[in-house]
Amino acid sequence: MFSGLADFGNAWLGFMNPTSIALGLGGALLGIIVGILPGLSATLVIALLTTITIKLPANNAILVLICSYVGALYGGSRTAILLNIPGTAANAASCADGYALAQRGEAGRAIGIATSGAFTGTLFGVLCLAAFTPSLAEVALAFGAFEFFWLALFGVALSGSIVGDDPIKGWLMGALGLLVAQIGQEGLYAYDRFTFGWDELAGGISLIPALVGAFGLAEVLTALADPVEKKLVQVKDSVLPRFREVFQYWRTVIRSGVIGVLTGLLPGVGEDSGAWMSYAAAKAVSKEKHLFGKGSIDGLMAAETGDMASIPGHIIPCLALGIPGSAPSAVLMAAMIIHGIQPGPMMMISHPHFVYEVVAMTSLATVTILIFGLFLVRPLLVILKIRRTVLMPIIFLLCTVGAFATASRLFDVYAMLVIGIGAFFLRRRGYQMAPFVLGLVLGPLLDKSLRRGLVLSDGSLAPFFTRPISLAFAVVTIFAILLYVPAFKAAVRRATGSAGKVFRSALGRRGGEDAA
Amino acid sequence: MSSSGDIAWVDLPPVEARAVAASELRGGLAWTVFGIAVLALSWRMDRLEAQHINPYTVPGLLPGLLGIVTILLGGLLALRSWRRGGRLVRGPQFATSGESARRLALVIGLIVAYTVVLLGRGLPFWLGATIYVTASIVLLQAPQRAAEGRGLTLREMAVALAIGLASGWIITWVFQDAFLVRLP
Repeated sequence: MFSGLADFGNAWLGFMNPTSIALGLGGALLGIIVGILPGLSATLVIALLTTITIKLPANNAILVLICSYVGALYGGSRTAILLNIPGTAANAASCADGYALAQRGEAGRAIGIATSGAFTGTLFGVLCLAAFTPSLAEVALAFGAFEFFWLALFGVALSGSIVGDDPIKGWLMGALGLLVAQIGQEGLYAYDRFTFGWDELAGGISLIPALVGAFGLAEVLTALADPVEKKLVQVKDSVLPRFREVFQYWRTVIRSGVIGVLTGLLPGVGEDSGAWMSYAAAKAVSKEKHLFGKGSIDGLMAAETGDMASIPGHIIPCLALGIPGSAPSAVLMAAMIIHGIQPGPMMMISHPHFVYEVVAMTSLATVTILIFGLFLVRPLLVILKIRRTVLMPIIFLLCTVGAFATASRLFDVYAMLVIGIGAFFLRRRGYQMAPFVLGLVLGPLLDKSLRRGLVLSDGSLAPFFTRPISLAFAVVTIFAILLYVPAFKAAVRRATGSAGKVFRSALGRRGGEDAA
Repeated sequence: MSSSGDIAWVDLPPVEARAVAASELRGGLAWTVFGIAVLALSWRMDRLEAQHINPYTVPGLLPGLLGIVTILLGGLLALRSWRRGGRLVRGPQFATSGESARRLALVIGLIVAYTVVLLGRGLPFWLGATIYVTASIVLLQAPQRAAEGRGLTLREMAVALAIGLASGWIITWVFQDAFLVRLP
């Protein structure tokens, strides 16, 4: 324990220099700006900053990305409160109560609560990140091909079932992501799959251009195709963080922090699930249920705390298992690999201090959002006044640079274009991109694990179901899929009764109220 | 409400619900055809017998399984849509309004033109960026001005050009000069 504290202290000291502090603050500021703009996501800002920071030392580069990650989710609460539009999907749970507070002249109070909830939630998550990552990595050292097969499948299946309203469409997108990941030279024999004789495809579809297309270009097209400008609620009262409310609602804060971290641990489940589950849990036990959706401080605090606590929660499986917890953490993982750090169980052996450096980075990011929450709330709202017809073409320019910069290939820009246009039309028909991204990231792992596992078992499927950890993952994966079969769902409901009501309402992500 | 346009089937009026179901039926069939294509291509992949590889590691294994999964899920989607009243030829269809379709075509046209024509063809990045941003602002704002009964003024066009020049220059400076990142 003491060596961990010493490593954490050394990591913190390593960042206490003007360059790192400036980069951290800059990353957080850019993240907040992107978060404020409705539709633009943490995934996009991390992908774009990955390309800008390619030439920086690894620690500074990852610091910028983590600060932008935290900043984007924090910044999204602004638009949720002032426009009733979530800045990022993770802030959707804050819309109802935040906007209701804003409409009755308490916009500043709502923003202050969002700041204090975000700060506390992220800090709680950082403590869990420090406590659990090394232990989980040690457990994961026992994982073999069979376990990683089920883990990868679990991530895609869970993401497909939870993200969006339609699990069939979610699973189809997951399968599509897994398929796109198979394009190019496969990992065992360098055989070209689905290249159709085109050399450019031999290298496969890179993750960063695909993410920039799915989350950047698709959003640009959505914003420009439907340019509805909404009226901003004016902020008249004080925006200072409300830590008194944090103490007043301490049960909500702790419960939401735990829920946020636990949802973060689940591969493929986005930050919005942490927010919604925390919101639903707070409503289920609240004595002021009737206020939820109408300006409940408890509800807003739960949503923001849960949403921000899930950020470190997503980083835990990313570092310990090499399995990203969400789309933004998938890009973060790609950035770590670009800078020569391979996340996964072996990281505790090859880069043992890196976990504590990430803990230090995330805690620094927590401090930056407090600073911007104290000093820059009103000036940053100017961003919302920029017309979309001016901003979106510039965002598209950044998308092309982001797609090109990693490997300096024009092909990556074309891939970004095709994926972005495809993603736009698919989203209009209710298909979500998060399962696609998970499929893209986990595809190579699933492929190699399946084939290696079959070689080790000489074609037998038994070890996939009889090894203890494999069996556990298999049961959870199959359960998560079967839960959407009506007959099975009814049987589970009868068996679990009211104990499952909170969990099911959280999975339904409405909590009894619509967000908009 | 997110901007992704999630469809909550049960909340829609009957006409719209049938239109959604019809759209999903076409989607389900398309996924099924796609899955069949993937399965066929995977089956035809070389099994590398000449290299005496372990037969359980053939390259087409996972793609083939994914093809089967896609066929099953596409079929399930089509079946569900059929049961909800979706039909291929009869019934209401989703129609994008003319103005919305024109706007979308313009946006996609500008994006494709920039990427294919201006990018990586020897033109300096800042110049291509300036042309794209200026053209986008002018062409996207023109319909809004026309709806107000006027055209774009010279001042508005000059502002669009200034924004285009500033974006091109700032992005070039930040990426290329400050962070040493190669631009297309």
